Amino acid sequence: MTADPPAVELKGITKRFPGVVANSDVNLTVRKGTIHAIVGENGAGKSTLMKILYGMQPPDEGEILIEGNPVKFSSPQGAIGAGIGMVHQHFMLADNFTVTENVVLGAEKLHGIGTQAKAKITEISQRYGLGVEPDTLVEDLGVGDRQRVEILKVLYRGARILILDEPTAVLVPQEVDELFGNLRELIREGLTVLFISHKLDEVRGVADDITVIRRGTTVASVKPDQVTARQLATLMVGSELPSPEARESTVTDVPVLVVRGLTVRGPDGRPIVDDATFTIHKGEVVGIAGVEGNGQAELAEAIIGMRDSAGTVELDGVAIAGWDTRRRREAGLGYIPEDRHRQGLLLDAPLWENRILGHQTEPPNAKGFLINVGGARRDTTRIVAEYDVRTPSIDVAAVALSGGNQQKLIVGREMSHQPKVLIAAHPTRGVDVGAQAAIWDHIRNARIAGMGVLLISADLDELIGLSDALKVIYGGRLVADADPSTVTPEQLGVAMTGATGEETPS
Amino acid sequence: MSTDTTLSAAAAQPAAKPRSRRMSTSTILLIVAGALVGLSLVHQLANAPDVTSSGAIQAALQAAVPLGLAGLGGLWAERAGVVNIGLEGQMILGTWFGAWGSLEFGPWIGLLIGILGGAVGGLVHAVATVTFGVDHIISGVAMTILAPGVVRYLSYITWGSAGATQSPQVVDQVPRLSVPGVNSLKGLEEHQWFLISDIAGVLRGLLHEVSLVTILAVLLIPLTAWVLWKTAFGLRVRSVGEDPQAAESLGLNVYRYKYYGVVISGAMAGLGGVYLSTVTSAIYREGQTGGRGYIGLAAMIFGNWRPGGLAVGASLFGYTDALQLRRGSESVHALLILVGALLLALAVWEFIRRNRVVAISSAVLGVLSYVLFFSVDKIPTALVQAAPYITVLVVLALAAQRLRPPAADGKPYRRGG
Repeated sequence: MTADPPAVELKGITKRFPGVVANSDVNLTVRKGTIHAIVGENGAGKSTLMKILYGMQPPDEGEILIEGNPVKFSSPQGAIGAGIGMVHQHFMLADNFTVTENVVLGAEKLHGIGTQAKAKITEISQRYGLGVEPDTLVEDLGVGDRQRVEILKVLYRGARILILDEPTAVLVPQEVDELFGNLRELIREGLTVLFISHKLDEVRGVADDITVIRRGTTVASVKPDQVTARQLATLMVGSELPSPEARESTVTDVPVLVVRGLTVRGPDGRPIVDDATFTIHKGEVVGIAGVEGNGQAELAEAIIGMRDSAGTVELDGVAIAGWDTRRRREAGLGYIPEDRHRQGLLLDAPLWENRILGHQTEPPNAKGFLINVGGARRDTTRIVAEYDVRTPSIDVAAVALSGGNQQKLIVGREMSHQPKVLIAAHPTRGVDVGAQAAIWDHIRNARIAGMGVLLISADLDELIGLSDALKVIYGGRLVADADPSTVTPEQLGVAMTGATGEETPS
Repeated sequence: MSTDTTLSAAAAQPAAKPRSRRMSTSTILLIVAGALVGLSLVHQLANAPDVTSSGAIQAALQAAVPLGLAGLGGLWAERAGVVNIGLEGQMILGTWFGAWGSLEFGPWIGLLIGILGGAVGGLVHAVATVTFGVDHIISGVAMTILAPGVVRYLSYITWGSAGATQSPQVVDQVPRLSVPGVNSLKGLEEHQWFLISDIAGVLRGLLHEVSLVTILAVLLIPLTAWVLWKTAFGLRVRSVGEDPQAAESLGLNVYRYKYYGVVISGAMAGLGGVYLSTVTSAIYREGQTGGRGYIGLAAMIFGNWRPGGLAVGASLFGYTDALQLRRGSESVHALLILVGALLLALAVWEFIRRNRVVAISSAVLGVLSYVLFFSVDKIPTALVQAAPYITVLVVLALAAQRLRPPAADGKPYRRGG
C-alpha cells in the first residue's frame, strides 16, 4: 500500500434499534478524491449508515477510520471537526434568511457574519462553480440553487468529505446534470463525495465506485463500467425485476373521466391550469409530462376537488364539478398525492388510522356514523401483507416508515376501494426499485380490471412505460400529445420545456 | 408557483430581485413631517391644542414606553419561535417587583429587581413551552392568570392586608433629565401658531423632564435591532424561530436559544411593568397593567415583527391612550378629521391595487369617522377610553394583509424531530 489511506473506511459497523437491525457488519472503503455511490432499497439501511458516519447515531459495533485515523463521533460536531459534511435530503434552510445567514449559522466564529463571511462565500462559490449569491433570500431560490447553498454550507465549514443523501430526488433532469457537474468539480479539487441513491442510471453515470447495501449489510462493491443498471438492480433487490412496460393495451372506448375546459386560477388571477381538456377511458393510463411547477399538481388537485376550478369534470357519466372532495372520493376517485407528508398521511398517527384517512365513511372503516376500528385494523393488516409494507406493526406511527413503505401504504389504501379513476401524482417518487415495481404492478392490474389512471410523474421512463397516452403540460396548458410507443425520453424532455409548442412526433 | 421560477433553474438566471424591505431615512422623515403637518391642521381646524401640546406628547411617550417594551418582549420571544401571550403576566410581576425593590433598595436596584421578576416569569414560560412542550397559548394564559395571584399574595405578606391591592408611595424615583433650554419653548407653544407652536409642543414634550428609564427603553429598540440582526447571537436566536431543524442540523442547541429569547422577552416585559409602577406613577396598584401586554403584542404584529415597526405601533397606541387624559373628548373628536382622511386615502390606494375588501372596509370606516365628527361635538368618554383598543383593532385588521411572522413561530419543537 503506497497510496494515500482511504478517505473513509468503515469496518464491521453494526447498529441495532429495538426490534430491527438497521446495519450489520457493514464494510466500506472510500478512496480519496472519488465519487462513491451507496445504493440500496429504501429501508436497506443507507441513511442509518450515513447518520452513523455523520455522528448523529453511535454504532453498536465496528470502527470508523477517517484518512487512516480511527475516530468516534458523539455528535455531528465531531464529524464536522473531522472534515465530514452532510447535505440532507430535505433541505435545512430557513426561507426568510439570506444565503449568507443560512451558511454562517452555527459557524459564526470562522469568518463572522458580515462582509468577511460574504467574501468567503463568494470565493467558495466561484472556486467550485456553484453560482451562489450571498445576499439572495433563500425563499427566492429554486430547488437546484438551494441544493448548491447546502453544498456551500458544508464546504464553508471546511469539509473534505461530503455526504449527499439522495440529492437527485428533488431535481429535474437538467438540474441533475448541473449537480453532477458540481460534484466532478469538487473531486477535481481533491474532495471526496459519498452519494446515496437508488437511481441506478444516475449512479452509473457519475460514480467512480459503487457499494450496494441490501437489508442492512454491504453485499457488493463494483465499478460502474463493469455492471449494467439491471445487474445493479438485481444486486440491490436480490432478485430479478420487471420494467414499467404496460405490455398489451387494455384501453376500452368507454370514457370514465372526461375533463373539459378545466381552468385553475392563482391568487393573482392568472391561470395556473389553462383550459385543460382530455378524456380517460376505462383501462387507460393517461400520463402527464411536464417540468415541475407547470400546473400538473394543480390539475390533480382540481380534479380531486381540493382546488377551486372552472370547467366540467365527468366521472363515469356524472358531472362532479361542483362536488366537494369527500363526495368525489366516495364516487370513485382515488388519489395518490404528490407530497405524502403534506397530504395523504398523518405522520404521527399509527398506520391503521392512516388507513382510515379519506375513507372514513366507507366500509371496512365505518359502521354507520361510527368508525369501525376492528375492521380498519384488519384491513390495514391485509394491506401491509399484500403491498409488502415493511413495518414492525400496524400500531407504529407512519413517520417511522421509510418513504417507500409509506407510499406502498397509500397505494394500498387507495386501491382497496376499487376506484374508477386513480389520480396518481408521482406514485413512485422517492421509492426504491423493488417497491416501484410493486406499485407499477398494482396500477397495471387495476388497469386490466378497468380502472382509468391519470399519471403525473417526473420520471419519463415511468411515464412512457406505463401510459397508454401521453400529454405534455407547459405553462398550465396541455400543449402536445405523444404516443408512448414511439416517443423517446429526449423528445418528451424537449416538449416539456415548451420548445416546440406544437405536436411532438406521434 | 409561476412558470418562470421553475424554468429559471435551467436557464440559470440570477434569481435575486431587489427587495426594499426597509424604508429609507428620507421616507421616514417625510412621514414624520407629514404627521406633524396633519396634526397641526387638526389643531387649527378643530381648535384642539391638546393634539400636539407638550403635555399630551409627554403623556404619549410615557404611555408608549410600556407598550413598546411589551412589544419588544413579544419580539424577542417570537423571533425565537415562542408565542409569549404571558407578557401581561410578566409585566404584572415587573410592576410589583419594581415597586417593592424601589421601596426597599432605591430606584436603580428596584428597576433591576423588576426586570428580574419579569425574567423569572419568562423563564417559567420557557420551561413550560420549550422543555415540556406545553402549548404556547395555554402556558401564556396560565402565566397571565398566575401572576396577579402571586403578586397579590406577595403584597399581602409584605404590606399587610391594607396593602393587598396597592403598595405604599414610591418616593425615590429614577432621575429625570431635560435638554437645556427646551423649556423656553413653552412661550412659543402657547402662541397657537400653525406648525410652529406644534413643533415646539412636540419637542418640549419629548425633551423636557424625561426619565432616564424612558431613554433606556427607547435605546432598547435600536439595541434589539442591532443584536438580532447584526450579531451571531441574534442570528442564532432568529434561526430557531425560522427553522429550528436547520439550526439543529448545524449543531445549535435550539432549546438554549429559545430559552434566551423567552427569558429576555420576560425581562423586557418586566421592565415595562417597572416603568408603570415607578415612572408613570409612583405606586404599585393591582390591575395597573390594564392589558398593555396584549396591546404591546399587537404593536409588535403591527410592526411586522421588527423593532422599528413595533416602535411606530407603540407610539400610535400610546398617543391614542394619552389623549384620553388630555381633554380626550375634544381631542379624539378633532383627530377624527385626520383619521377619516387617512382611511379614505388608504381606501383609494387599496382600490388602485385591486384590494377590494380592504378598500371598501377602510372607505366605510373613513366615512363613519366623518359622520361621527359632524354629528357630535364631543366623543363620549366611554368611547374615548376605548380609543386605543379600537385603534388596535382597526390597524391590525387593515395591516394584517402583508405580515411575515417568523416561519416556525408558535410551533412546537422537539429535539431530533
